[in-house]
Amino acid sequence: MEEEGSGKRRRIDLDRLPIKRLDAIDEIGNEQFPPDTSHEEKRLGMLRRIDFSHVVADNRDARKKQKTNAKEAAPAPQQTWPWQGLVENLQLAHQELSIIMDLINTVEANDAVTVAGMQRPKQLPNEILSDLAVSAATKLQRLRNLGRYFKQSSKAMEQKVSREAKFYGSLIRLQQNWKVKRQRLLAAGPGSEGFTFDLLDNTLSDTSMVSRPSPSALVRVVREASGLLAIQKPQRLCHSLSIRYLGTNLSLKPNKFIEGDIYNSDETLQADKKEALPDEDVNSWVKNTHSVLRKIHRSIFLEQVFDGVNLESYNTSPGINVTGMREGFLQLAISQDSSICLCLVPSTEEDDSHMIESEGHPQKGENSDSAVNEKDNTLNVNKFEVPNPASLEIFLLHIFHKNFLERLKEKHFSATKAAVPGQAPTDPCGLSHFCKTVAHRIFSSKVLAEIECLVSGIPYIQLLSHPPWHSRTSSWSLSLKFPESVFHSASVSKYSNSYDAKSSIRSQFHTKVVVKDDQITVSGQGALCTLGSFKGSSADASSVSSHGCDLEDLPLVILQQIAGQIIHWLHEEAMVVGMKANRDFLCLYVDLDQGDVLGLVAHVDPDDINGCISWWLILEDGLGEDGKFSTDTGENENRKFLGYLSLEGLYSILMDLVNICSNSGCH
Amino acid sequence: MMNKAAMGGGGGGPTAAAAAAASQKQKTLLQKVDTDISNIVDNFSHLVNLARVNDPPVRNSQEAFQMEIRAARMVQAAESLRNLVSELKQTAIFSGFGSLNENVDRRIAEFNRLEEGTERLLERVGEQAAASLKELEAHYYSSALRTSHREA
Repeated sequence: MEEEGSGKRRRIDLDRLPIKRLDAIDEIGNEQFPPDTSHEEKRLGMLRRIDFSHVVADNRDARKKQKTNAKEAAPAPQQTWPWQGLVENLQLAHQELSIIMDLINTVEANDAVTVAGMQRPKQLPNEILSDLAVSAATKLQRLRNLGRYFKQSSKAMEQKVSREAKFYGSLIRLQQNWKVKRQRLLAAGPGSEGFTFDLLDNTLSDTSMVSRPSPSALVRVVREASGLLAIQKPQRLCHSLSIRYLGTNLSLKPNKFIEGDIYNSDETLQADKKEALPDEDVNSWVKNTHSVLRKIHRSIFLEQVFDGVNLESYNTSPGINVTGMREGFLQLAISQDSSICLCLVPSTEEDDSHMIESEGHPQKGENSDSAVNEKDNTLNVNKFEVPNPASLEIFLLHIFHKNFLERLKEKHFSATKAAVPGQAPTDPCGLSHFCKTVAHRIFSSKVLAEIECLVSGIPYIQLLSHPPWHSRTSSWSLSLKFPESVFHSASVSKYSNSYDAKSSIRSQFHTKVVVKDDQITVSGQGALCTLGSFKGSSADASSVSSHGCDLEDLPLVILQQIAGQIIHWLHEEAMVVGMKANRDFLCLYVDLDQGDVLGLVAHVDPDDINGCISWWLILEDGLGEDGKFSTDTGENENRKFLGYLSLEGLYSILMDLVNICSNSGCH
Repeated sequence: MMNKAAMGGGGGGPTAAAAAAASQKQKTLLQKVDTDISNIVDNFSHLVNLARVNDPPVRNSQEAFQMEIRAARMVQAAESLRNLVSELKQTAIFSGFGSLNENVDRRIAEFNRLEEGTERLLERVGEQAAASLKELEAHYYSSALRTSHREA
């Protein structure tokens, strides 16, 4: 750098190439270099090389302008060089930089640089304390982290423990009712511990009749993430037994359980909610699970019953008449015009009714007309002829259970005592009994209908049902209560010497109708045996006649019995008042004193809508030649139609006859 | 816990082999419990030792790692104890045959009682129904309604 003039004009000229320049070349040709410059000189030399010429040129232009302006305005003051400070600063910076550069270069050149004992400066007490504080704080932080970690793990463990408590608590509670098994092989799945509920009653399965293994008998237990105990629904559908009459869609609706609760709530309950389930909810959860298990168990039992019935239907035993069979379906003919079906119906289906209906017409198809007809038919049929299918189902289950229990007891007995070989149970499910019972119920309702029809035709008859407490027996009695005789008290005193009071005039007669299976027996007192001899002895009064008949003959037999009883009563009354009277089958003959015989004849006709027993008054010659009474010829002078008389009416007619007799006797 | 272990192990059966297996199981369980608890105690004492603030900060950070490891081991041992408890629970559930049988007997007695009650109830219902039927029949057949119906 060089200053020209009086400082107003500067010129900086720098060599572009920092090479060593020759100072001189002597004669020999030795080049003479300038002596090594000092550091300061070098620095200066380097500084000198900076060429500020263009900057300066710009500055000069600017300053020229300024100068002209200044010259115009005012005389310029003495100016100092403004770059002086910069230069100095640069110099200082450069100095430091070069020192560092030197050090770096030395190190790079791998010169021997040895660090001779770097002494850490002795710390001041406050520094020591602050270091210690930092260390302690760090440690504290670490310990806090540890505490947090412990808290977290203890919380997790608490949760696990509570979940386990929930799970095992539920399991223990369910174990009180169900057989819990553990299979370690099954424990592969997530949440599964290999626990299963074994719902199969193996006391049933070791008998020969139930051979089919039931895969759905094992219900797997799953532990949910919240620790609640859930069960895996078996693949197979749950079934319920349904009994109905063929040709009707009258069937037992499958029982609705509290089903799906456990599964539905599975979806609705959020996981976090489940986590916080209180004990009561866990209780209800366990109850739900229990009810689902019960449902499955019941379904298995019903399947076993069905299988047992199916197996038994192979044996030919009286009363069993299989007319159709397919998967989950058994058709049994009960009587000539009715048959029932046993079906296993899936109970989890939404539209049960549809299922049943489609099952209900295996042969006929699903014709809508036939469905309507059958519906009408159902109503008619159900009115009184058939027992309710629901009660049939209960009855079947009851028989099965009872027989099964008895067999168990026998087994136990034979196990403790010497076993008796060759005594296989012939009727393990009681299917024969069941069929006979159903047949009997249908038959007995028909009988009852007949009797009721009869009774409605005879106003003085009372019908009384006598429950026999046996499923294949029914009995009713028809009671006939006679009006009190005006001479009754007198007769009692009169006859008390020779007769027992009981054997005097009876005020009441009973006719008993007993139906066993399909055998009707009618027994009664007081009437002459309708089929036996027509003896007119009074011994008949206390004897009980009993004979069987079939359904067609029943009304006639009963009517004859009743009419005979009435005749018997009238005869006794006539005897009391001292009339000469004797009786025949359904006639009471009163001897008039002229030798005429007046007959009071009962005519029975079950189909007569006005009344079943009507009365005729006839003279003796009114009887036909063959001795039979006939109404075909109608009324004439020898016979008179009296009508459908009440007992009081009959009694008054008898009294009239007495009057006639006594009057004629007087004459 | 020991009682539980004894109970769970003792339910094996009356035979000598089963008893031996049960005592072996009990021993194993007790050993496991001891190991786990000593594990926890050791690690905790280590942890307490490590809680000291050391002068060189480098060592402090070393110890931080150690502390984490000790803590993890403690948690692990606790978890193992918990597993043991649940195993004991399972054993108690599946091997408490005495209580299970007792429970079954109790249930049987209860069901028998229920059965008897139900039968009695059914009997009573039947008798009542029969009595009501008789009464109704007597009433109906002696009623004026019936005769008037007939006359009509």
